[in-house]
Amino acid sequence: MNAIEVKNLRKEFKAYSSRSGLKGAFRDLFTRNYKVVPAVNNISFSVSQGEMVGYIGENGAGKSTTIKMLTGILTPTSGDIRVNGMNPHKEREKFVRTIGVVFGQRSQLWWDIAVQESFRLLKKVYKVTDEQYDDHMQHVIKTLDIEPLLDKPVRKLSLGQRMRCELAAALIHNPPLLFLDEPTIGLDVLVKLKIREFLKEINQKYNTTILLTTHDLSDIEALCERVIMLDEGKVIYDGALHHLKENLADGKELHFQFLEQVDLPAVKKLTSGMPVKWDLDEKEQVFIANLENDDLLISQVIAIVVAAFKIKDIKINETSTEEIIRNIYEKGAVEVG
Amino acid sequence: MFYLTMFFQYISQYAKTRLQYRADLFVEFLSDLMSQAINLVFILVVFGHTKLLGGWSRDEIIFIYGFFLVPYAVFSAFFNIWNFNERYIVKGELDRILTRPIHSLFQIILEQIELESLLGAVTGITVMVYAGSRLGLEVTWYDPFLFFIFVIGGALVYGGIFVMLACISFWADARTSIMPMMYNISNYGRYPVNIYNKLIRFVLTWILPFAFVGVYPASFFLGKTEWYWYAFLTPLIGVVFFSLSIVLWNHGIKKYRGAGN
Amino acid sequence: MKLDKYIEMIRIRFLMMLAYRTNYYTGILIYSINIGAYYFLWTAIYAGKEEIQGLSVSQMTAYVAISWMARAFYFNNLDREMAMEIMEGKVAVELIRPYNYLGMKTMEGLGEGIFRLFLFSLPGLVIVYLIFPIHFTWDLSVWGLFALSILLSFFINTELNLLTGITTFFLYNNAGLIRAKRVIIDLFSGLLLPISFFPGWVQSIMKFLPFQGISYVPSMIFTKGFSHQEAWAAIGQQFIWVVILILPIQLLWYIAKKQLIIQGG
Repeated sequence: MNAIEVKNLRKEFKAYSSRSGLKGAFRDLFTRNYKVVPAVNNISFSVSQGEMVGYIGENGAGKSTTIKMLTGILTPTSGDIRVNGMNPHKEREKFVRTIGVVFGQRSQLWWDIAVQESFRLLKKVYKVTDEQYDDHMQHVIKTLDIEPLLDKPVRKLSLGQRMRCELAAALIHNPPLLFLDEPTIGLDVLVKLKIREFLKEINQKYNTTILLTTHDLSDIEALCERVIMLDEGKVIYDGALHHLKENLADGKELHFQFLEQVDLPAVKKLTSGMPVKWDLDEKEQVFIANLENDDLLISQVIAIVVAAFKIKDIKINETSTEEIIRNIYEKGAVEVG
Repeated sequence: MFYLTMFFQYISQYAKTRLQYRADLFVEFLSDLMSQAINLVFILVVFGHTKLLGGWSRDEIIFIYGFFLVPYAVFSAFFNIWNFNERYIVKGELDRILTRPIHSLFQIILEQIELESLLGAVTGITVMVYAGSRLGLEVTWYDPFLFFIFVIGGALVYGGIFVMLACISFWADARTSIMPMMYNISNYGRYPVNIYNKLIRFVLTWILPFAFVGVYPASFFLGKTEWYWYAFLTPLIGVVFFSLSIVLWNHGIKKYRGAGN
Repeated sequence: MKLDKYIEMIRIRFLMMLAYRTNYYTGILIYSINIGAYYFLWTAIYAGKEEIQGLSVSQMTAYVAISWMARAFYFNNLDREMAMEIMEGKVAVELIRPYNYLGMKTMEGLGEGIFRLFLFSLPGLVIVYLIFPIHFTWDLSVWGLFALSILLSFFINTELNLLTGITTFFLYNNAGLIRAKRVIIDLFSGLLLPISFFPGWVQSIMKFLPFQGISYVPSMIFTKGFSHQEAWAAIGQQFIWVVILILPIQLLWYIAKKQLIIQGG
């Protein structure tokens, strides 16, 4: 049985637009203009038990809306959802016992009480027995290293500390399916690494299915073999992450830093007529040439640039995943075999 | 059974947080007492200028007010949902509620519980005893039972109306301040309804039945036989309105749009 | 221009209020029911009496109607809003902005008040006038004095709100205080019943408190319970209170800001 099964899922919102000015506002009192906007536009996919899937897309692509429908928070406008064999919204109370949810931007814990009190309450909410709790949570608490935080009220925790506790709280009933919405937003590298390690571990240990949305592609690279990419409410790619890289990342990036003051048009002019795309990292003053993985072309470009300007530093890199994704969004669709 | 366990779990958590801020608790008690006193002052001042209000004496009106305080205290303790729109809709805390395996309204009621409001019931009973003894009311063996039933009925009427008002937030897309405004209207159930004209009496009886929180049930204890019929209707109206509010809630929750990220 | 941004704030608040249409419709309805209920309550209290404390039934009903309508103008929730902003730490951000926080809050309240005055009170007053046998005066000088007086009411009430709002800095949770302040103002401002109905000793205490400047004064002016001279004297007193209340606000605000800097919000 698939953990998640989604067919032609659609969610529309009414978007009200206000007329401008005072006169417009008065007219709005009586009639208002609105448009029906599909936030999620007939998407279909399925996730099997034990998979870790990255669900990515730009702001407003429909990620959160999908997650909220999958977790039973929102009712779909049309389409079928079966998660853990249930319809999330119809059998909400029974259904949510089988999932864990972490919203990175919002706390799931009670603000004023100590973390362990929140845990105790949640333990009762999810009807977890003492043996199950001890067996499972002691391990979770140890791995996430939150033992010393348990007697502190949530409002006194730092963001990284809180996120680790949130994660533990979402796992109290050891759900077979875990939804993580931006779990690493605003965290420092060490906490991020710890959380990734932990997720990998529970995935292996309990065969937990994990659906993850994030802006940080390094999370996805570290955790997920499969990505589902969303744009304007539609799935534009669903497949293996390495497949995406292999097919689209057959390019190279040349990083140049110059000793003298150079501007982008000047560099662009040098290679005009050649299949090279230039970018400028303004902060570091690094000029980046994106080109195909063609040895001859690479040496030609280097030769021209070196001849024209004094060089401080040169690097040759593989195209980053971020660059790939950005390219996809610019093109609006993925054509991989 | 599960819901009963959860109820006590939440209450014990609640007590722990509350006891951390004892000074607040004290101020709250004081401000509750003060607003109760001020309503009494209003009655006293008014009766400084008149003997009867629509045929009801000063002590009778005070008795009604005392009765009103009891279901109102129960309501305030368990239906403290004034900030529902702000906290759960605008800030999106309903998202969290909906990922938990307990009925959403029940969770919100538990999270917002304010047991200290129950102190108002003590004030109310004191006021009733004072006014009742001045009126020479006699207590029969079944009075406490009826009192209990009427109080629960009244609290359910109140709860039902305010849950329905909270439901407006599921449809209206912006914040509303209807609830505080409604509070003013709820006060009119404390005065004899026969002073109002037909329309307002109709509204207070069948549309926003606040009269069932004050004057109707209290008139039973005051021995006003002409209102007995309404008094006995109190628990029924309470159950009907509260059930309606839950139906509306369950329907409304499907319309929840979620807070924007 | 220095005032521009404050006037812009009034306009924005006005637009914000217009956006909440459910609020608007139910607001008119509820205000009308309120006035209606009080109309009957007072008719019952008079029970055929010619007058009480120099006010006739028709003056009294006009008093009730006008004091609720005036309340729509001077009333605001600035105390609760401030408490919220302070507890969430938003005030620290507000302090960085290039304007006077308290001034801005006052202007927001004024925008809200003007909105309610024209969109609640005026239509509401027309409805009430058509339904109930209430007599309003058409003496323009009375209307003028009334306008001046409710403007001062607004400032007194807003100053009291700001004062309660600022106390959030010093108390962990001032919800109780805010609630207490509201019921006190409802009773002692003369909204529920005219100050002249109170026993003499209460009236003499009230003379030394700002509350009656909020509702009693404008309503008495409107119902011609005050002569012209009395009206001017009362307006003078209102004005004095507006000035006096600035002092504790500035003082508490100064201390609060100092505390904010030390604790970092």
